[in-house]
Amino acid sequence: MDISFALTGKGYVILASDTTAARSIVKMKVDEDKIKVLSPHLLMAYSGEPGDTVQFAEYIERNIRLYQIRNTYALRPPSAASWIRRTLADSLRSRKPYAVNLLIGGYDTSTHQPHLYWVDYLGTMSEVPFAAHGYGAYFALSLLDREDGLMSGSSYHDPEAPLEEGLKTLRRCLDEVAKRLVVTPEKYKVKVVDKDGVREIEI
Amino acid sequence: MSRSYDRALTVFSPDGHLFQVEYALEAVRKGTCAVGVRGKDVVVLGVEKKSVLQLQDPRTVRKVAMLDDHVCLAFAGLTADGRVLIDKARIECQSHRLTVEDPVTVEYITRHIAGIQQRYTQSGGVRPFGISTLIVGFDPHDTRPRLYQTEPGGIYSAWKANAIGRSSKTVREFLEKNHKDDMSRDDTIKLTVKSLLEVVQTGAKNIEISVMESYGKITSLDLTQIEAIVAEIEREKEAEAERKRSRLAATAAGQAAMSQAAGGSGQ
Amino acid sequence: MSIMEYNGGSVIAMVGKECVAIASDLRLGNQALGISSNFQKIFQMTDRIFLGLPGLATDVTTLKETFRFRVNMYTIKEERELEPETFAHMVSSALYERRFGPYFIEPVMCGLQKTHDGSYKPFIAATDLIGCLNFAKDFVVAGTASSKLFGVAEGLWEPDLEPEDLFETCAQTLLNAVDRDAYSGWGAEVYVLTKDKVIKRTLKGRMD
Repeated sequence: MDISFALTGKGYVILASDTTAARSIVKMKVDEDKIKVLSPHLLMAYSGEPGDTVQFAEYIERNIRLYQIRNTYALRPPSAASWIRRTLADSLRSRKPYAVNLLIGGYDTSTHQPHLYWVDYLGTMSEVPFAAHGYGAYFALSLLDREDGLMSGSSYHDPEAPLEEGLKTLRRCLDEVAKRLVVTPEKYKVKVVDKDGVREIEI
Repeated sequence: MSRSYDRALTVFSPDGHLFQVEYALEAVRKGTCAVGVRGKDVVVLGVEKKSVLQLQDPRTVRKVAMLDDHVCLAFAGLTADGRVLIDKARIECQSHRLTVEDPVTVEYITRHIAGIQQRYTQSGGVRPFGISTLIVGFDPHDTRPRLYQTEPGGIYSAWKANAIGRSSKTVREFLEKNHKDDMSRDDTIKLTVKSLLEVVQTGAKNIEISVMESYGKITSLDLTQIEAIVAEIEREKEAEAERKRSRLAATAAGQAAMSQAAGGSGQ
Repeated sequence: MSIMEYNGGSVIAMVGKECVAIASDLRLGNQALGISSNFQKIFQMTDRIFLGLPGLATDVTTLKETFRFRVNMYTIKEERELEPETFAHMVSSALYERRFGPYFIEPVMCGLQKTHDGSYKPFIAATDLIGCLNFAKDFVVAGTASSKLFGVAEGLWEPDLEPEDLFETCAQTLLNAVDRDAYSGWGAEVYVLTKDKVIKRTLKGRMD
């Protein structure tokens, strides 16, 4: 099962997703990009039922783009997340629901605020300071919950931390998973969104 | 008798006309003029802008629309119909990317738009779109500029340069005289403006120019840039007229001299 | 595992003297795993109506949006404000529309109902997931901690409490009940509605 993490910091959101595509116990691919760039300031990490994931992500991608062409401006993160959630919620009660879990990270260029949304396949959505899907969640969330590291500078999670520190925190999560999880992904793709837009970071 | 043939759209008149389609073409002829010109590796769209009212926001009155990253459309005719057709085209552009993972080619989206226009001439309870369109752009993985035209009946065709809307005939004839293959960016823009000036008396402020230089690279010229081009054209025209005048004067002087000489010899 | 317990969460509403109170926890979970400690389940529908939506979290958001839409349409079409009792029937019928494929929510609502003499009468109600209405005179509870809420409320609640006393009763009932429930907790919020103001308080709770 795929693992994805996300966390916010001062004016940015980091999303990380493992890069394996597996069928049953077999790795089919080790460089799969599971984070879509939906608009200049919006990212979406997706995981879940293979097939559904890509199908759903591309459907979302095209519709967000269509909105931007129609209205000149892209949807802001809260509105985009709300629409994506509604699409999943409607799908849940259809004949064949999408089984896709999402982390939506965006930077609102109007209010200069980073936003991160945790969304699951049922259409449950919550705005959070940090989030994770998959088995990684069981290790990372408790790590990110810790608050006493704030003063030492080597923080666990701080919504006001600069980017380098945020990446260090992410590194901690990945290391913890590597240390404790039985089957660990070897590679992650990491993307950041901030006022300058979206970019990929090697970690 | 003949009046009944323009009631139901799907009915031909005895001499093979679909009157509603011809009326739609009339609506196009009444619409503001739009010009498309293809250069060596650039394609330019120019449209005649109606003067906006004093309190109106000019940004909300646009006749050139982006269909996708690499395709632009200008239309002449009923603006309201244009909007609907543009929306259908935009959906098709995204839908095409979604289903085959490739952006549309300019020809494909032209064919799609023409297909929609044709459908509206053959089914009951609808009327044709009162617009002609000029579609420009670049195909993916290709550097050749493209220019297509569609009409209310659903006809589509490719062009080197063309005009639609009010006085399009005058403009097209002008283009036929002045178009050259492999024009540079500046020459293409200048020809577009020049041809539009044939029918737009009010000059730069009523002209809108969009330039597409390569896949996904679209720029829209602002007023000062267009004014500069118009001024340059005026200067050239002035110089041309000046040359003509001096030539005329020279000929007149020559004739006068000759007649004088003739007169002198007579004395 | 019941789907009603998948995300966890509880709501309680109480009647006071010319006032009502509604309180909920703030947890959003995936069974035993906590996801958020800031997931609101109580929504203001009009100036005088509050709605609590414990149950499956996706339906919390969907129903919140549905009722915002329906209340707005009602206010625009009827050109008057929606009364709490009318709203209760709106909730009931919206849920019964999905009788054979229900939203997994047991709504709790409270409000101040306008009487003929122009004063306000406290109103509380709750329904099950298919919209069967329960108009109570004292308190209504719902959610994963409902059994505990019943017990504590039965012990603490008394008639004609003033706003501040009602707040204390409601808050203590909720906090102590959710401490005995693994699926509810992680902070709480309490709204007290009186005829001229709304008091909102966010409470800290045990984070385990």
